[in-house]
Amino acid sequence: MADKDSATIKRDTSSALRGGPATLTPRQRQILVRVLRLAYPHDSFPDGPYERTADAVVEATADDRRLAATLGPDLDMLDTISDGDFLGASDETATLLLREYADEPYFRQIRGVAVVALYDDREVWELLGYEGPSFDQGGYLHRGFDDLDWLPEARITEYDGEPRTELRDVEEQR
Amino acid sequence: MSTHGNPIPLDEPVVVVIGSGAGGGTVAHDLATEGVKVVVLEAGPYLTADDYTNDEWPAFNQMAWLDMRTTSGSYRVARDFPNLPAWIVKAVGGTTTHWAGATPRFMAHEFAARSTYGEVEGANLLDWPITLEDLEPWYDRAEKAMGSSHRHGRPPMPANNNYTVFANGAERAGYRYYATGPYATNAEPYDGRPATVQDGFNFQGDKSGAKWSTLVREIPRALESGNAELRPLCQAVGITHGSDGRADAVEYLDADGNLHRQAARAVCVAGNSIETPRLLLMSDSPSHPDGLANSSGQVGRNYMRHLTGSAYARFEQPVRMYRGETMAGIIADEAVHDPSRGFVGGYYMETLSLGPAFLASFIEPGSWGREFTRLMDAYANTAGMWLVGEDMPQESNRITLDPDVTDQWGLPAPHVHFDDHPNDIAMRRHAYRAADTVYRAAGAVGVHHTPPYPATHNLGTCRMAADAADGPLNEWGQAHDVPNLFVADGSVMTTGGAANPTLTIVALAMRQADHVRELLRTGEL
Repeated sequence: MADKDSATIKRDTSSALRGGPATLTPRQRQILVRVLRLAYPHDSFPDGPYERTADAVVEATADDRRLAATLGPDLDMLDTISDGDFLGASDETATLLLREYADEPYFRQIRGVAVVALYDDREVWELLGYEGPSFDQGGYLHRGFDDLDWLPEARITEYDGEPRTELRDVEEQR
Repeated sequence: MSTHGNPIPLDEPVVVVIGSGAGGGTVAHDLATEGVKVVVLEAGPYLTADDYTNDEWPAFNQMAWLDMRTTSGSYRVARDFPNLPAWIVKAVGGTTTHWAGATPRFMAHEFAARSTYGEVEGANLLDWPITLEDLEPWYDRAEKAMGSSHRHGRPPMPANNNYTVFANGAERAGYRYYATGPYATNAEPYDGRPATVQDGFNFQGDKSGAKWSTLVREIPRALESGNAELRPLCQAVGITHGSDGRADAVEYLDADGNLHRQAARAVCVAGNSIETPRLLLMSDSPSHPDGLANSSGQVGRNYMRHLTGSAYARFEQPVRMYRGETMAGIIADEAVHDPSRGFVGGYYMETLSLGPAFLASFIEPGSWGREFTRLMDAYANTAGMWLVGEDMPQESNRITLDPDVTDQWGLPAPHVHFDDHPNDIAMRRHAYRAADTVYRAAGAVGVHHTPPYPATHNLGTCRMAADAADGPLNEWGQAHDVPNLFVADGSVMTTGGAANPTLTIVALAMRQADHVRELLRTGEL
């Protein structure tokens, strides 16, 4: 039987109740987008990827009725704790507020969805310099798999000197 | 129910192989092509090259074993990925359809870990019942079957960008034993399969067929022999035995959840190191009250997952690590037993690459803010390596049947408990420093240490032991308690060694198949 000590971390996520996605007010939606930008700040990213990630977060609340019901009020709280205007707070101040809320379940769940959705976004791939699917283009065999030119060419065969020592000084150290 | 190959009646007692990956696929091939009738039960679907996609998350959702599993213990996976202790494949060809391809052999002393390392507190070390010398003929056969580069006349893989950084760093750091292999993907056409196009997608299924897997070699050949039937989407749920103590059938569920019973002359379980002990534990009976073939009490115990850790280094100039063969780069200098380093056993460094989608989830799980995004912003200039080494078997690291949680069939979910051993932690720290040294020597401006992620190497939970009291299997992977029951996956490994396990799983499976044929010939099976 499974060990049941107090340090046990065991979660079964299969029983979360499905329902409809959260309905956010325009203000709550703007707060969510700002949260995403502060959580995953990339100076080179336009709004598009963050907007699409916000869509993914809202969509994911359909898997969890409790989150769907609490996401809007939790986002309202960010206004409340920043003197009524989370959107007007400086990046520094807003980030510090989020740090304090880092372990709140809603913020953890937002990040859990966002880290997948944001970096699975085609525009983000392009911004980061990733080229995506390659097999249909013949792989990288003739498209730069070996085009690195700022280091010398490296040996690809195995070392042809003396064989590798596999046991070192064992007798001596016993 | 859609099946493949020559149909075999349910009431015909044949060799039933459970799982079609490195171990099961190999055993099925070696028996069927030599005239032995085999039924292969595979829990996953029959995916082939056209089904695969060059896209990390869709590929993961298509191929990965995602049935309910639970975890506990002090290892970080229990916190970061509580229902995903292992990243393995549920499909025909098993985990060989997403493996990277590195094929180092175990070293001689790794077959004698207890004698070589001595007593290590908290570790349940044991010598293997076989030696490297015993296994060498099958290692040769396995390397030829798999087309390992740098071996038996197979040429080396060319250097990709990630390797060029890795190898230059290795050379400058004073390492000597680095190369682009051995690596079981074709650098040139071989064995009826093409050369690699360096598409960079290894963990998503290989669309070209350049990489060895049982999907492209052993399974089709077994089916062509006319002696095998493959039943995909069939989940084994029990092995039964007769009053003579021999296994006599395997019970399984088809895709619609209907229960079937295939008569068996012998049974070979190869479901990877979580499902294999789970099946034996679920197959308890009055004469096997603690699970089938578990008089030793070791079924499910000594679960190993290898050291694992990764290092991602940022450079001032482009690397584009994702272009080309993912793991065609190995440094072996640290794969030595040198207790002066403060730990027993050794480790390899191997090139590794993830796309942004996976890197974001794995590079530092849970991290956010600028400290996280600066890692992602550097993506195009990043080089990556994996650190893989021997971890200590511990009795308390084990697979059990979860008393509270069930899978989609209502069967007890497997529960994985894992705590790092102090030796694992010391080795990982050493390996991160070695990675720093390699990458700094190549000019890195920063190196991030990525913690272990869901296990790709799952080992040890049905170990081979000369003495039946120490483990459920003998030197052939044959159960001490049930003479016609065999295991042929990574769970048979007495200790884990430092090497990527697939080559050794295949070599052991080939050796087991030869033994089974001998037992059939002499009438013992």
